[in-house]
Amino acid sequence: MSKKRYAIVLDTRKCLDCKACTVACKAENLVPLGTENYRNWVSEGRLRGSYPRLGQEFAPGQCMQCGNTPCKRVCPTRATGVGAGGIVTVEDKKCIGCKYCMTACPYNARYYNEERGAVDKCTFCAHRIEQGRLPACVETCPTNVRTFGDLNDPDSEVSRLLVERPYRVVKPEMGTKPFLFYLI
Amino acid sequence: MSKFLRPEIIGKGSIVSRLLKRKLSRRRFLGVSSCALGTVALGSQLNVLKALAEPGSGVKLSLVPDRSVFTCCEMCVNKCGVIARMREGVIHKLDPNPSFLRSRGMLCARGNAGLQTVYDPDRLKYPLIRTGARGEGKWRRASWDEALDLVAGKMTAVADQYSRAGMMFVSTEGFQEEFFLRFAECFGSPNTLRHPTLCLASNLQGFGATYGTNPFPDVRNADYLIMSGANRAEALFTPDSIDMIAGDGGRRKLVYLDPRFTRTAAKADEWYPIRPGTDLAFVLAMLHVIVGEKRYDREFIDTMTVGFDELVPHLETYSPEWAAGECDIPAEDIRRIAREFAAAAPRAIYYQGRRSSFFDNDTQLRRAMAILNVVVGNWDVKGGMLPGKKIHLGENYYLAPWYDGVPERLETGDVTYLSLKDGAWKPFRDRVLAADPYPVKGMMVYKQNPLQSVPNRSKTLAMMEQMDFICTIDITMSDTAWYSDVVLPEATYLERLDPIHVLSGPVPEAVMRNPCIEPLFETKPNQWIMQQLARRFGDEVAESFNFTMEAFIANQVEGHPEILEALRTRGVYRENDEPVYGASHGKRMKTRSGKIEIYSAKYAKEGQDPLPVYRAPQTPSRGRYRLLLGRTAYFTHGTTQNNPYLHELMAENSLWLHPDEARRLGLRDGSRVRVRSSVGEESLPLRVTEKIRPDCVYMDHGFGVLSKGLSRIHGRGASDAALIEDRMEPISGNVAMHQTFVEILPA
Repeated sequence: MSKKRYAIVLDTRKCLDCKACTVACKAENLVPLGTENYRNWVSEGRLRGSYPRLGQEFAPGQCMQCGNTPCKRVCPTRATGVGAGGIVTVEDKKCIGCKYCMTACPYNARYYNEERGAVDKCTFCAHRIEQGRLPACVETCPTNVRTFGDLNDPDSEVSRLLVERPYRVVKPEMGTKPFLFYLI
Repeated sequence: MSKFLRPEIIGKGSIVSRLLKRKLSRRRFLGVSSCALGTVALGSQLNVLKALAEPGSGVKLSLVPDRSVFTCCEMCVNKCGVIARMREGVIHKLDPNPSFLRSRGMLCARGNAGLQTVYDPDRLKYPLIRTGARGEGKWRRASWDEALDLVAGKMTAVADQYSRAGMMFVSTEGFQEEFFLRFAECFGSPNTLRHPTLCLASNLQGFGATYGTNPFPDVRNADYLIMSGANRAEALFTPDSIDMIAGDGGRRKLVYLDPRFTRTAAKADEWYPIRPGTDLAFVLAMLHVIVGEKRYDREFIDTMTVGFDELVPHLETYSPEWAAGECDIPAEDIRRIAREFAAAAPRAIYYQGRRSSFFDNDTQLRRAMAILNVVVGNWDVKGGMLPGKKIHLGENYYLAPWYDGVPERLETGDVTYLSLKDGAWKPFRDRVLAADPYPVKGMMVYKQNPLQSVPNRSKTLAMMEQMDFICTIDITMSDTAWYSDVVLPEATYLERLDPIHVLSGPVPEAVMRNPCIEPLFETKPNQWIMQQLARRFGDEVAESFNFTMEAFIANQVEGHPEILEALRTRGVYRENDEPVYGASHGKRMKTRSGKIEIYSAKYAKEGQDPLPVYRAPQTPSRGRYRLLLGRTAYFTHGTTQNNPYLHELMAENSLWLHPDEARRLGLRDGSRVRVRSSVGEESLPLRVTEKIRPDCVYMDHGFGVLSKGLSRIHGRGASDAALIEDRMEPISGNVAMHQTFVEILPA
């Protein structure tokens, strides 16, 4: 079997900004309470136009599981690594809490978990993937904004979507090679 | 009623008996962490899990569940299928049940936050008896026996001094509400007060009077949707909220009317900030175009309806040009939308919405919406309005005692169509305050929170003040519990075995709740509470509660083991996966005429308009604004604002005001303002936004609580119930919540 490369494709037109993904993630991954502590988020786009011609978009986000990882590069203890399927990991025991990685991440996708004494971030719910379950944010979404899958499998839903539909990534100019793809 | 409850438990190996046998590692959990729950604010579940891992044991925290339980959500009214993932006797995560069709396999933020109802330190833990003045917040912990003896004694005293009707029973929907209503009936009071007249009574009335039933919109298959004030992207309702988005993709068009730019407006193809209270003018003008241009379904009208001939002349003056002046929507848009709607028919829906407690014309507005759907012939066809179907369950019979000399419901005669089960809040409360025609001096409350939900809070406080006795059963210290004499803690939905419930619809489904853990602290299921209380009212009353939940469920599925088997293996039972269309065509409708009633002879007989007549709403005078209220996707009515997870999403409500008006008033975004109506004054932060009409202000419902037992939100935001005047739609008795004008002052 070939190596897997996990990715999430998002259709933000479907996003209601209901925050189901945010709460699901907090519960699933025991993210401590507090608005500073989060592994994923939904951002409210700027209100476009003027009354009564208005428009607004909403976009969920999380660690982009970059192919080129600025977080890993700056970690002095090699606590940040890349695991199976290209998922960027943090090893609690090695993390000294210097937070360089939090500064280096262009997506603000990391937070410091006081309870664990380590920096924490989205793992695509690796523990669920191992059991054949979808990441919590993907599974719970009322409108199926996120599609999760293996980009190395040309028949997967994510591969198919990226062939059929135009998409963009966030901050491509940073050269991070993110693996969250936003359909246009 | 010849059938009696059977005492035996359903067969060995069934889900229920196995659940009962299952011993959870509960002792260990309680032993370690209940102290933490009681004394220290719980940071998160991680603390619970950490507490479980004994020091030095080297137990590594794992996120992998060791057990899963099928149950069903109770964070709102949708009852979505849930799979609870358990670890070492702790509820770790609530996942959506992918087999549950009505939710389309999703679980929203509230559903995910549900586990905090169990582990929230703010939850009610023990029976409490008030020691200070009402609302002072002084309590002492009591045993169940002492609390129940007190409740039974006070209820008896009220019945003796006044009459059995002197006790009112206040409740709202839930899987164990039926035991509360059964208790009210066995006690002998006709005065049950439920939620519909604060919510959708006019909606049910208007559609029911037309169709003889309340139809379900086939949103998923509709090509054209019009939503008036139904904010489906935030006030989540299954499956409509999901299907509204799923039906998109270039094919489906959504036209949305709302004085606010909501999340639904952001998803709509066209948004019109309609002048509040004028939706009826819009619908009548659409009808004017469709009927005038003969774009209706003649064959359907001829075979399935009565009263079309009366409708034609009735619409004559309701032109788009006329409506434009009422609604602030251009006549050419109204005409175009009407034509597009008719062209898309029968896959076109004028969506009826859920809450319809907006204006005192709401029943007639819903009638007009129904008539519009009828004339384009979308009844019982794919993408149209569908009849609801049910799954039949076995009955659990009981025999309520008969008491002589109990008067009729208190508000009899105050509403054209009064529901004997639901009552009508506004006239009922007015009559309690006037003790007319008789006094009501005792109040039993289950799950409902009238201090947050009934307009004009000061009247509700006055009503409660004159009570000899108030008892509230709930899971948290709601405002109503806070003003009670006895508070009884119910077990949460994740700790209860609940009866099977059928969700009716085009594809009906049956669900039930299995307990994930045993009830924490001294909380008890409502069925147990009612049973214990019933025993204090003599053998005849006790007899009606002499059953176990297992036996109750066994009666529900008698002769149908497949229902229980499906619930055991999939967490949901249904008979078909797709709606069956058209079965009602050519058949009798459940109306007096047997047809869909465009012209309502029964309304005419009652002195109400047999066809919807438009009357313009009042306009706010200069310096005053119409107060609107509504919801976000994070909160259910007034119940989830204090949930630790959901509180993080919104800690306080704010007052929406258009920038032009804020400038005129010299008020800045984020500053605190006072809002004053004729019945109250509240203060909250100002949110200056273009998302609202300049003549309106808006606040989210459910803040400004009185209870200090809701520790996160006490002192935050404003209560709309304190500001809204109590007005009523006369046909259904629904309150009209959007007819209050307020002034805005700097705080």
